[in-house]
Amino acid sequence: MRDLKATRVPEGNTRWLRLRVMLLGGLFLSLLAVAFGRAVYLQIFEQDKLRELAQDQYVRQIEIPARRGDIFDRRGTPLAQSVEVDSIWVDPSMLPDVRKASRALGKALKLGAEDAGELQARLVKARRFAWVKRQAKPQEVEAVKALGLPGLGFTKEPKRFYPQRELAAQVVGVVGTEGRGLEGLELAFDDELSGQNSRLSGFRDAKGRKLLVQGTLDPMEREGAAVTLTLDRHLQYVAEKALARAVEESKAVAGTVVVLEPRTGELLALANNPRFNPNTPESLQRETLRNRAALDTFEPGSTMKSFVVAAALEEKAIKADDVFFCENGAWSVGRHVINDTHKYGWLAPKGILQLSSNICMGKVAQALGREKLVRYYHEFGFAERTGLALPGEGKGLIPFPKAEVALVTQSFGQGLTATAVQIAVGYGALANDGVLMRPYLVSKVVDPDGVVLLENRPAEIRRVVSSKVARQVLGMLESVVAKEGTAPKAAMEEYRVAGKTGTAEKADPVARGYSDKRIASFVGVVPADNPRAVILVVVDEPKTDVYGGLVAAPAFKEIATAAMAHLAVPPSRTVAPEVAVAPVAPPAAAKTPLSPKPAAERPVVAEQAAEGAGTVRVPDVQGKVGREAVVKLLAAALEPQLLGSGRVVSQTPAAGVLVEKGARVTLELATRP
Amino acid sequence: MKTTAAAAAPVRFDPILLCAVLALVALGLVMVYSASAILAQDKLGDSLYFLKRQLMAAGMGVVAMAVAMKVGWRRLARLAWPLLLVTLVLLVLVLIPGIGTTAGGARRWIRFPGFGLQPAEVAKFAWVVYLSYSLAKKREKVATFSVGFLPHLVLCGVLVGLCMRQPDFGSSVLLVFLLFVLLFAAGTKLSYLVGSVLLALPLAYVAIASSPYRMKRVLAFLDPWAHRHDVGYQVAESLMSIGSGGLTGLGLGDGRQKLFFLPEAHTDFIFAIIGEELGLVGVTLLVALYAVVIWRGVRIALAAPEPFGTYLGLGLTSIIAFQAAVNMCVAMGLLPTKGLTLPFVSYGGTSLLVLMGVAGVLLSLSTASQGAGNRASRVGGEMREVAA
Repeated sequence: MRDLKATRVPEGNTRWLRLRVMLLGGLFLSLLAVAFGRAVYLQIFEQDKLRELAQDQYVRQIEIPARRGDIFDRRGTPLAQSVEVDSIWVDPSMLPDVRKASRALGKALKLGAEDAGELQARLVKARRFAWVKRQAKPQEVEAVKALGLPGLGFTKEPKRFYPQRELAAQVVGVVGTEGRGLEGLELAFDDELSGQNSRLSGFRDAKGRKLLVQGTLDPMEREGAAVTLTLDRHLQYVAEKALARAVEESKAVAGTVVVLEPRTGELLALANNPRFNPNTPESLQRETLRNRAALDTFEPGSTMKSFVVAAALEEKAIKADDVFFCENGAWSVGRHVINDTHKYGWLAPKGILQLSSNICMGKVAQALGREKLVRYYHEFGFAERTGLALPGEGKGLIPFPKAEVALVTQSFGQGLTATAVQIAVGYGALANDGVLMRPYLVSKVVDPDGVVLLENRPAEIRRVVSSKVARQVLGMLESVVAKEGTAPKAAMEEYRVAGKTGTAEKADPVARGYSDKRIASFVGVVPADNPRAVILVVVDEPKTDVYGGLVAAPAFKEIATAAMAHLAVPPSRTVAPEVAVAPVAPPAAAKTPLSPKPAAERPVVAEQAAEGAGTVRVPDVQGKVGREAVVKLLAAALEPQLLGSGRVVSQTPAAGVLVEKGARVTLELATRP
Repeated sequence: MKTTAAAAAPVRFDPILLCAVLALVALGLVMVYSASAILAQDKLGDSLYFLKRQLMAAGMGVVAMAVAMKVGWRRLARLAWPLLLVTLVLLVLVLIPGIGTTAGGARRWIRFPGFGLQPAEVAKFAWVVYLSYSLAKKREKVATFSVGFLPHLVLCGVLVGLCMRQPDFGSSVLLVFLLFVLLFAAGTKLSYLVGSVLLALPLAYVAIASSPYRMKRVLAFLDPWAHRHDVGYQVAESLMSIGSGGLTGLGLGDGRQKLFFLPEAHTDFIFAIIGEELGLVGVTLLVALYAVVIWRGVRIALAAPEPFGTYLGLGLTSIIAFQAAVNMCVAMGLLPTKGLTLPFVSYGGTSLLVLMGVAGVLLSLSTASQGAGNRASRVGGEMREVAA
């Protein structure tokens, strides 16, 4: 007891000390608790906000351009491809001496004084990043690498490459340095071709260096879609070559060719001259970039006459055997005088087309009437965009012919405008038994997953004239390529050709009248008895000869010959009928128009003599080129079916087997390695 | 009899404290590596540079701990004055150009071949030892102004003055904090303490306002986002790090902020990397370890057989507690930037060495409280003996 009492004071002292120490311990723990509470607040409640802020600085969205889709011709030949090329950049802050380095770079890249100065200015101005050379050539990359400068970077950039060079360049168009389409289909289908650029989250450190690219590819990333055209590389080549020759020989300024499959509306070739190589963008000029065939409108001239005749026949305004007086070459309409190139007397519609009489054409148009003339032009697809998906496609203009003279001139294709494609499409309707088909240039757009984004199939727009009238007009047009017609140079040995020349006077925008400049054209349907191609050749401002029959018809023939072979079209089994020689004699009593001199009887289409009992032996086509094989099988009245391309490696049924006529023969083709 | 019995009993150090300290050191090594590898690779071409040095310091720390345990806390009373004098000399030496090395605008290191010494870190330890010794010696006179209060205040002023010359604001604040903690524990009149705080406030204001860099730090603290591109940069980056860690963190080694966004990621701001990579889970572990250290430290202080031991245990625990709490609060924007390390975890040789020595002293103190009966009666018993 005493002991305890004695220790009370120190004990109390100790108790106070204990209390104070515990108080302080509590204070320390509560300080920790405050810190912990703050951590909970930051990491749970503020987490999203802070994480976003943090990511803002270290996640750098790197936009990686998607591979641009390719453009193919109808057979899968690439017309435009994307390839990866090196681009060179530099971090100027890492260069010991920017000026010295830029001089060295300029030397390595063989830059001119101006470009070198520009490069130096760029490097001096930039702090962390500057392009040295975009889309550099391999040897340039090597040269720059050899300098061994610090801070240089090399990155792959996609570059557009056109393996066929000038081929269909105006149709395909071009792409700018930034990878966006600038012209043609590259522009029209830019969204589809570009695909979806991927965004990669790359981490960067505070020094701005890209560190690592992590994570999955952006799900939105999508390679560009592939665009398949209706163009045929071979026909396009042939067309461009023939056109180039026609333009060169006639010393013309430009030219256009349209090759159309009349039964489907597919454009097989769309050639323009002058040409350009899209791989060397520095050579580009706006003028040559333009796809004249689809974009430019012009006064087409006499090629329009066929439509007027078809319309008049369809409307029964005239009969095929009516004859018209051609006023011997000069006809006053109001204050105007209409002239023919030669003096003609009486002509039936066939003769009008064959000899291309403006005067008689005017009379046919008068018989048809203003409203119907304009309506039929529209029905044939004029003054309306064809919807080719080409940017800036021309529309053409057909003003209503209030004046009598306007009616007359419009009947022979003056005083109205059209595009080359429109003319070809109109003839396509005549070749397709009177049904106008929607023309198209792009058959398919397929994204890399195989999803078809766009598919064009043959589509009828409308029936314009009856099948009878269409054939009747085609028959009349066959006379054009006869010896007496305006375009004997378009005639072919093995195929019947129905065609029409055009020699339009070019309106002079300055003098507000017609100049002596011409647009010579020829449009032909081949074979006339089984139309497989409509070929239009337009030559702008020929200097040597001005007539379509002289300037454009030879090019037509060249293209048509190649096309028939390429398309494996069997030769016409019937020879073109003996063409009536126009002009016809005037009727004895001018009031009762006589039928013109009867045309020579068209040879009866000979039924193919049935050999044997409707059976035939399969010919041996092994090793033959597909086209030859097809011709051979067709000649044997067999239906060829082709798989693949190249030469025939196998055929079923085998050669020598007896099969029924019209039986199908499957050919497997392969390209020899 | 009693003493022989105590000596005969196997010497048992507090195992919980030991484990907590070693766990913190281990965590520190992992985090120093994670936070510094990229910096080390970038700057020194050796991603292991800081890890190696920290490992070395930890090894020396273990030795220091063992030495402290061997020497025993009682002998420190005799070393109080020598330690303080050595510290004062070092604090003066570090200010002399040519001896002290400057880094980040402050002259804090005395470079020796192979390592550097931070006198301020030593000062913390020496200050606690001296105060404990002095307060235990002065006993009841502690309550008096002239004997118990003023001399300590003056001496503190000298130490703080030297630290502020470096400048080292964080250590200065810690030294003042330790003075107040121990004076409070020893029973100094509260009116002195409160009064001196009130008097110090204008002085602190002048100290802060007179130095542009301190002013900026306060501004940055008040609104780090407004200054996130200049003075608030570090705090803003730290907040983003910790916040983006979330509950479970981005994963060890996967932190982004150490990619040069966060300066001093492996030293004063290592807590930000822990928060980012280990998330709230890691932070909880860290806080729990410190709580354990404080709990055991206070327990050891309470169980100490004499006031010197109690003051010593409390003071040393205060060093750890104050630094841990302040460092975390700074990293989370609750306090202005100070320059105090996260005890046992941050990179820094002197700091780790001294702190492990501190832990060694605490452990040695823990053996003293062992023996028969509960510690309270033991303290009573000691007192009784003293009284007898």
